[in-house]
Parts: sequence; structure tokens; C-alpha cells
Amino acid sequence: MNAMTENTIRQEQIESLCRMMAGFSHDMKNHLGIIRESNGLMGDIVEMGGLGEDEQAMERFKKSIAAIERRVVLSANMFHHLSRLAHRSDTPYSSFQLNDLIGEECAFLERFSKLKQIELVLELGDGLHPIYSDPSLLQHVLYRLYTQCLEQMESGSSLVIITGQEGKNMIITFRLLATAQLDITKLAGETLLSAIEKLNGILEPGESTSEYTDIRLRISSLSLEQ
Amino acid sequence: MTDIKLLIIDDEVEFAATLCQRLQLRGIDATDMHSGGEGLAVLEEVAPEIVILDLKMPDMSGLDVLAEIKKYDPTIEVIMLTGHGSAGSGIEAMEKGAFDYIMKPVDLQELLEKINSAAEQRSKA
Repeated sequence: MNAMTENTIRQEQIESLCRMMAGFSHDMKNHLGIIRESNGLMGDIVEMGGLGEDEQAMERFKKSIAAIERRVVLSANMFHHLSRLAHRSDTPYSSFQLNDLIGEECAFLERFSKLKQIELVLELGDGLHPIYSDPSLLQHVLYRLYTQCLEQMESGSSLVIITGQEGKNMIITFRLLATAQLDITKLAGETLLSAIEKLNGILEPGESTSEYTDIRLRISSLSLEQ
Repeated sequence: MTDIKLLIIDDEVEFAATLCQRLQLRGIDATDMHSGGEGLAVLEEVAPEIVILDLKMPDMSGLDVLAEIKKYDPTIEVIMLTGHGSAGSGIEAMEKGAFDYIMKPVDLQELLEKINSAAEQRSKA
């Protein structure tokens, strides 16, 4: 792979992270907005005469407390995923569980699905071996494929991400429900295909029926921990 | 600031509902709706003077909803809510007819001032 392609992959990798971070910051602003308004509402109730015997005020107060608690938990989860996602690039190659990587990345992808009104469903296979690969680059490839799948889909449909293992290969299937067959080479583009190649991976068409179209990403582990 | 008829359109249900309650406690006749489509559907019934409108929603973009509101009644003043870190999207909305914009998380005092200014602007229309 030439230096120019390496640089382009690197640039696109940074772009992917930036877009995920932009989505993350939007989500966090929403959580903080709700915490601020709920806290403000409690302050309003206290300032406007306290709870006293006012059952409606008490109900609003309790709802605000519950909303703050819920949003703090959601925010803490997002930060947990952010920390895991960010640390994936600590070492260029490492051994990791594919399902963990997909789970943490999807915490950031759900927002994009929601905006396009597409349901994101995970069907993570059981008992997959750890994979030895470049987790940060794989995050980028998954993000790109995911966003390109979304672009092809109509609102109201579902995107299912399925993981499995075939011998030493990890298989990640993007199942696009209610979507006609796609030309995956056009979908991916040259740089993304180079990034997949760098991962010892292959992007291939999967099963296609009248109900869905599958796109399969096959990743070979450099050495699988048994 | 009492008697102002105001409509909040934001897909974050908890945010819209809580902000709505806080505005009601200040005497504003506020209603909340949770999608662009829902908001447009109640324009006639609610007859808002001011709309607080989220820029990014799943069913319709805030800019599209803004255009529909202005088509329905150009005198309705719209204050955009934006989660963007920069003012760019808010300014773009103002170029398309929004009265003003405010960033999330919202400073209520700042929002009340903008509502007041929008009401004054509307009374001149």
C-alpha cells in the first residue's frame, strides 16, 4: 500500500472519529439540557412557595429527580463508552473481543440511526474468539460502512448488525431490511476498500432476498487466541 | 410576559416538557410538541405567537419546519434551539427567517429575554 493511500486512510479515520464525537457532544448536550431544566424546575417549585401540600408540585418534583437520575446514568454510560472507544487506539494492534468493540461503537451510532428514523439492531454471536487486529482502524471501517448503509436506506426500516465466526475469520454482516441489492464496491469506495485490505479483510455481498440485503465484512485475525 | 402563546417543538420529550412547565410557571401559555410534523399539525389549534424550535429532529429538519411555519403565518416569531458548538447553524436559520437562536443547554434567563424581544417584534407586525 503506498504512502498516499495510507495518508488518505488516516485522514478518513480522523474524520470518522470527529463525526462520532460531534454526535456524542450533541447527545451530551441533550442530557445536560434535561438535567439543567429538571434542576431548574425543582428550583422554581421551591422558590414559588415550596412543596407544602401541593400534590401537583410534589409530582413535578419527583419527576424532575427521576429525570436527573436517569440522565446522569445515561451520561455516565456514554462517557464509559467514549473512554473505551478512545483507548482503542492506544496500541495499533491488540487482541480484543469483536462484540465489545461493536457494542461500544454502536452507542455512538444510534444517534445517526434515530435521526434517519432507522432502527439499529445488534445480533451479536456467542462465544466468538478474540481477534488480533487494529481495533481503531476496524472502528473506522465499521463507522463508514454503517453510515453508507444508512444513506441507502429508507426511513422506517431496520439495519441489523450480526457478528459471527467462520473458522479463523470474523464475519460482520450488515443486514439492510427493505433495501434492494447494492453494489458494495460502489458503496465502499477505493479508500475504504484499501482500509479493509489493511485489516486483512474482504467486503463481499451476502444473502439477498425480497426482504433484505446483506453486506458481509470478513476480517482475518492475524493470530487468534485460542 | 404573561399571555404569550408559545409552542415548543423538540424531539427530546423530557426537555420540551420540562421547559414547557417552567415557562408555564412564569405565566406563559406554553405547549410542547415532539416532532416537526406534530408541531405543524397544531399550529392552527395552538395559534402560537412564538415558536421555540429544535434544529435537528428525526422526522423533519428544524429549517424545513421553520419554512412551513413562515409559510403558514410569517408573523410567528421563531427562536431556534441548537446543539451545535458554533453559531453557524443558528445564523443560517436567522437568514431563513428565524427571529433568533439559543444554544443547548438553555440558559432560561437568556431564553426569557429572547421570548420578550420576539413578543415585542411580533406586536409591531
